[in-house]
Amino acid sequence: MTTTDNDIISELKNKFGEAILMVQPTRDEFPTVWVDAAHIAEVLKYLKNEISKPYKMLYDLTAIDEQAKVHKVHPGSKFTIVYLLLSFDRNNFIRIKVPLSSDKPSVTSITKIWPAANWYEREVYDMFGVNFEGHPHLRRILMPGTWKGHPLQKCHPARATEMGPFQLPEDKQDEEQDMLKFKPEEWGLSKSNDDEEFMFLNLGPQHPGTHGVLRLVLQLDGESIVNVVPDIGFHHRGAEKMGERQSWHTYIPYTDRVEYLGGVMNNFPYVMCVEKLAGIQIPDRAKVIRIMMSELFRISSHLVWYGTFAQDLGMMTPVFLTFYDREKLFGIVEAITGDRMHPNWFRIGGVAQDLPNGWEKMVKDFLDYFPKRLKEYDKMVMRNNIFKARTVGIGVYTTEEAIEWGVTGAGLRATGFEWDFRKKQPYSGYEQFEFDIPTAQNGDCYDRALVRVEEMRQSLRIIQQCLDNMPEGPYKSDHPATTPPIKKYTMIHIETLINHFLNVTWGPVIPAGEAFVGVEATKGHNGYYLTSDGSTGSYRTRIRTPSFPHMQFVPEISRGYTIPDLLAILGSVDYVLSDVDR
Amino acid sequence: MKWWTTKANDPTTVIKGNSSFEETVQQSVVLTTMESMVAWGRKNSIWPFNFGLSCCYVEMATSITSKYDVARFGAEVIRGTPREADMMIVAGTVFIKMAPIIKRLYEQMMAPRWIIAMGACASSGGMYDIYSVVQGVDKFMPVDVYVPGCPPRPDAFLEGIVLLRDKVGKEKRPLNWVIGPQGIVRPDMPAQRDLKRAERMKMTEIRPPDEV
Ligand code: SF4
Repeated sequence: MTTTDNDIISELKNKFGEAILMVQPTRDEFPTVWVDAAHIAEVLKYLKNEISKPYKMLYDLTAIDEQAKVHKVHPGSKFTIVYLLLSFDRNNFIRIKVPLSSDKPSVTSITKIWPAANWYEREVYDMFGVNFEGHPHLRRILMPGTWKGHPLQKCHPARATEMGPFQLPEDKQDEEQDMLKFKPEEWGLSKSNDDEEFMFLNLGPQHPGTHGVLRLVLQLDGESIVNVVPDIGFHHRGAEKMGERQSWHTYIPYTDRVEYLGGVMNNFPYVMCVEKLAGIQIPDRAKVIRIMMSELFRISSHLVWYGTFAQDLGMMTPVFLTFYDREKLFGIVEAITGDRMHPNWFRIGGVAQDLPNGWEKMVKDFLDYFPKRLKEYDKMVMRNNIFKARTVGIGVYTTEEAIEWGVTGAGLRATGFEWDFRKKQPYSGYEQFEFDIPTAQNGDCYDRALVRVEEMRQSLRIIQQCLDNMPEGPYKSDHPATTPPIKKYTMIHIETLINHFLNVTWGPVIPAGEAFVGVEATKGHNGYYLTSDGSTGSYRTRIRTPSFPHMQFVPEISRGYTIPDLLAILGSVDYVLSDVDR
Repeated sequence: MKWWTTKANDPTTVIKGNSSFEETVQQSVVLTTMESMVAWGRKNSIWPFNFGLSCCYVEMATSITSKYDVARFGAEVIRGTPREADMMIVAGTVFIKMAPIIKRLYEQMMAPRWIIAMGACASSGGMYDIYSVVQGVDKFMPVDVYVPGCPPRPDAFLEGIVLLRDKVGKEKRPLNWVIGPQGIVRPDMPAQRDLKRAERMKMTEIRPPDEV
């Protein structure tokens, strides 16, 4: 912990005295403070509004069921609520934890301080059964309304096969369909105002414009949108619970599928987080390989966005062209990793294997080929007048609003705020690379597109530097927890053989502790908050995905526009549903 | 029914044969039953429903674009509503919250209708044996073709389409609901794994991963 971190802790102690229960050292070295439940709202309000260099962003809010834990930090806590705040002035996070010792846990809602807490608190309620007093609309968010139990509680079964065969008889079908009926009163929406009756329009969960299984209920006054209520959870795949039964190593393929357009970019924060917990140092070659692969995937993901966004706005051609370029990228990805969308290729301590002979030429060919195509797309899409008419001045928001609602990535930079975690909190050696952070000024749909297009050019620059300066050396660390362990150490004597055997069969044991690591992913800042209880698997895996807050923000930026504008807004936000629901 | 098309670079001027009466008739008259004529039409214009659940959908969409081009198999007329579609490709994970909606969409499709389960998730739950996932769409809907993979490559998906075409072409559906046997006669479609086994067993070398 740095001195400024100590400052903030002593400041809190002075101000709140007894309410600060303890300070916890963590592997990520974020200041981590346990606060008494009765004072949590005050403390958070202070950190957001009163302190100098405030923590303006509610970066994450989650919980941990502590009841099965061996290495307890706070002995009395059954459920711990974890708030993670980000200060842009300090360029640092702070983690606040609240212990709840009751069997019917309950804590004050902080939606009055941060409206963005709304969905996070609903998620904690849904997953852990924690009540939030004063929450405006506490109901399930990810699971169906008919669900019994709270899946992330340790006593809830994890496997579908533990819960009896799935059946969908007529009456259940009807009940579920009934549950999906939208009742405006439940959401505090009125059916009419003084002179108009509103129309409620259901969009999704099966609709080509929603880019996946997302449901939006629109309250309409004629053509214009009065309100939008997103209904999510149709894509909930239990990725966090899955982390509790996989070994550290076998969880990597699940990360690929969290943001399924980002491929190995998803492995990145996860393996770095495990490495931080285990104290593994990565060889330079592995670092640069990881950066190169991630940037290739950034381009690939942006290409899918580019084509589909243009298609949402009525252009048929671009999607065929961008997907063609994506195939070229996949040619490289496949040659290096052996797979296309979900390579599952990073490893704890390095990457799965060395780069194959001949990779340079493939990457070089792409670097020569792609800039021309980008120029062509500029002409075709970005300078197209219809495209501009559909996007300029639509879905506008300011930097302050973006920070208030937890927006990161291109959506934040399009408001004119130069904030890229690759530059501000460099990881894996990004500080050694030369590249710019593209920004734009107006924070509308067009500007978000502009930033992403420019980002592809910057990624090309980074890949060029990887190509020119790829370090020699091993692609994997020789730390004992590196997975799979290095074979050449195996046959020395019986201990090394036993170690190898255990490491391969059970996987490495990671020392107890917790850490958060995030990366500047394709859609925004994506991070893993892992808690180890000193065993071969994670005790709690929290995935903080960027699309979740972005989706919560959509109603705020859609009011007053029309339905075609809404589709432009959705496209410009660039989310995938697996990243929203996990 | 037998038919063929000319190849793109066939010289059009070359006229084969001896222009006999018999040959001319063969070239211009098609003799078939109504039933197989309809089956032939169905097989060559399967309209898919624009429906996707998860990662697999991206690979399905890729198969529509230039490199793969599903139009080669007559299945490019993507329909936005189930009422106009012949085929539903369950591309992705079947979430418990989504299952009633998938079933409803299926019920809205008009017969004849076919289902492809694309990917491990849709076929069996795949790597997601987890509380929120149905272990395969066949738990509540009939499936015609299963395409393995996570996600299946677009090529594999196209093979699935080819197999479905085959099935559709061979299926017997009575056109008359008064005369003759009623009910659909489905062809026997053995698993590709069994059909290809002998050939695959011959493979003794796997290309090493150190070369591109
Ligand atoms: S089979 Fe694999 S790729 Fe397809 S939806 Fe399931 S996890 Fe995604």
